[in-house]
Amino acid sequence: MKRVAIALVLFLALAHPRDALAQTARELVGQGVRAYRALEYDAAVALLKRSLSEDAVGTLSTAERAQALTYLGATELFRGRRDSAALAFSDVVLLDPSYRPDELIFPPQVTNLFQEVRQATKTVALSVPPVTELRARGDRFTARVFTSSLAEVAVTLARDDGTPVRELYTGPVADSLAVTWDGFTASGTPVPSGRYILRVAPRTEAANAPPARQVTLDIDQRADDTLPWPPAPTSPALLPERTPAGPAVRSLAAGVVAAAAVIALPSIIARSSGGNDARFAVGAAVGAAGVVGFITQRPGRPLVQNIRANAPQRDAWMKRVETVKAENANRRATLRIVIRAEPLATAERTGSSP
Amino acid sequence: MRWIAGTLCVLPTLVSVTQAQERATFAFRGDAAAVWLRQETAPGVVQQLRGPALGAQGRVNYGPLTFGAGLIEGRLDAASGGTGGGAARDLVEGRAFVAARPLPWLEVSLGPLLRAYVTDSATERWVVWQGRARIDAPILTARLTSFVELWRGLSSRVTFPPFLAGRVQGGEAGVVYKPPRGPLWWRLAYRVDDALLGGGPGGSETVEVVTLSVGIGR
Repeated sequence: MKRVAIALVLFLALAHPRDALAQTARELVGQGVRAYRALEYDAAVALLKRSLSEDAVGTLSTAERAQALTYLGATELFRGRRDSAALAFSDVVLLDPSYRPDELIFPPQVTNLFQEVRQATKTVALSVPPVTELRARGDRFTARVFTSSLAEVAVTLARDDGTPVRELYTGPVADSLAVTWDGFTASGTPVPSGRYILRVAPRTEAANAPPARQVTLDIDQRADDTLPWPPAPTSPALLPERTPAGPAVRSLAAGVVAAAAVIALPSIIARSSGGNDARFAVGAAVGAAGVVGFITQRPGRPLVQNIRANAPQRDAWMKRVETVKAENANRRATLRIVIRAEPLATAERTGSSP
Repeated sequence: MRWIAGTLCVLPTLVSVTQAQERATFAFRGDAAAVWLRQETAPGVVQQLRGPALGAQGRVNYGPLTFGAGLIEGRLDAASGGTGGGAARDLVEGRAFVAARPLPWLEVSLGPLLRAYVTDSATERWVVWQGRARIDAPILTARLTSFVELWRGLSSRVTFPPFLAGRVQGGEAGVVYKPPRGPLWWRLAYRVDDALLGGGPGGSETVEVVTLSVGIGR
């Protein structure tokens, strides 16, 4: 019966190659699972292998591939091919270290073997959300690290040119670990926009150490502009708070010019007369009046009344400044970072440990 | 002198009455002056006289115009330094004018000046129509102000040989102080008038006056 089914499948595939290629890998997985449940292991192996073949690469999701591999491993185990089963389970672990076969579906001998393989297969994985937006200092970007077995790992962030930015975690991971990041560099400044590499790597250089995994993050920082300070109140809005030099100089000039006129009038008006000496006393008095005027209005004296009159305007301005300061501090504290993650990739071995 | 004393008594009352009317303001001042007179009647012949004088002046500000009149009287005696002697004489000088203030700091006025020297034997009279310009410069606003005033004779006549006056001009400068309290203000000024006598070799006449005044009104 099983041979008939296999022959039928192979016949259909060979007789109608186009139709077989058109048949989706997902349908093949379903057929393989049904064959497994019907205890038609040979057919199940053929269908599942077909679904995982190179022609179907990229058509299955990671979870679907893990499911197909698990059924393939279980099928091989029941066919008595333990090594083939372990190989399939190993592929599952490498594909997704967090994957576990459903114990309600698979019997203990399958799950036990899977666990053995999982313990023996060293691998790490990284899971990040496709888009994360950090809007405030409290917000954090979260990446989840998975390991197939206990491993010492380092999770680091670096620029795409390799310049280190920040070490996010260093230590053991037994199964999975959530690693968070606040969007700041090691020195406490927000990261500038650009492309970054988030990398999880084993801390040991052992030959059986799992390969490092990394994901490229496209980070876009959008800082709010700070507000300009309100313009300081100036005259004429403000009354002058100190006496200017102008009035004092004008007073002195008025006195001195009048005094000079008193003294010079006879020589200007009456050329035949030298003038009476009494005019010098008058000129001195007028000049003294100018000096008194200058001293009384000497520049730089505080004008208390004006200072008092200006105080409310100054206070209002100071309040506006404080408001703007607080708003600017708030804006500087506000972090707007958009993080877009690219697909996970396996990193090169070099430089895998910090 | 009696005329001046009477004016001094009457005008303050007139000031207060007139100031009660909003349309016109009135100012009055009384002067105490020292006068020096220098007359050169012929080349090398100089008479010098001096003496005290009292005077008064009133002004009515009516709209844009100011009308005013003043009088000063004194007794001049011969002073040292003259070469031509010089008889003592009374000085009487009166002036009337109408003035306008085209700018806050500039006042121009026009009016006749009459001056008479009265001796026991003769009276010498001068009539000069003057055009004046006065600049006020505040030292302390509204309290202490300096001023310079210049004038020129537009036409003149004298009842003394040679009966014609040539150039007649003058100037005055000083300071006005109004204390913060009280209605009175004080004025100190130096004035010089100079006239060249025409119609021959002629001569000249120079009058210098230092005046201390007390005033009321504005």
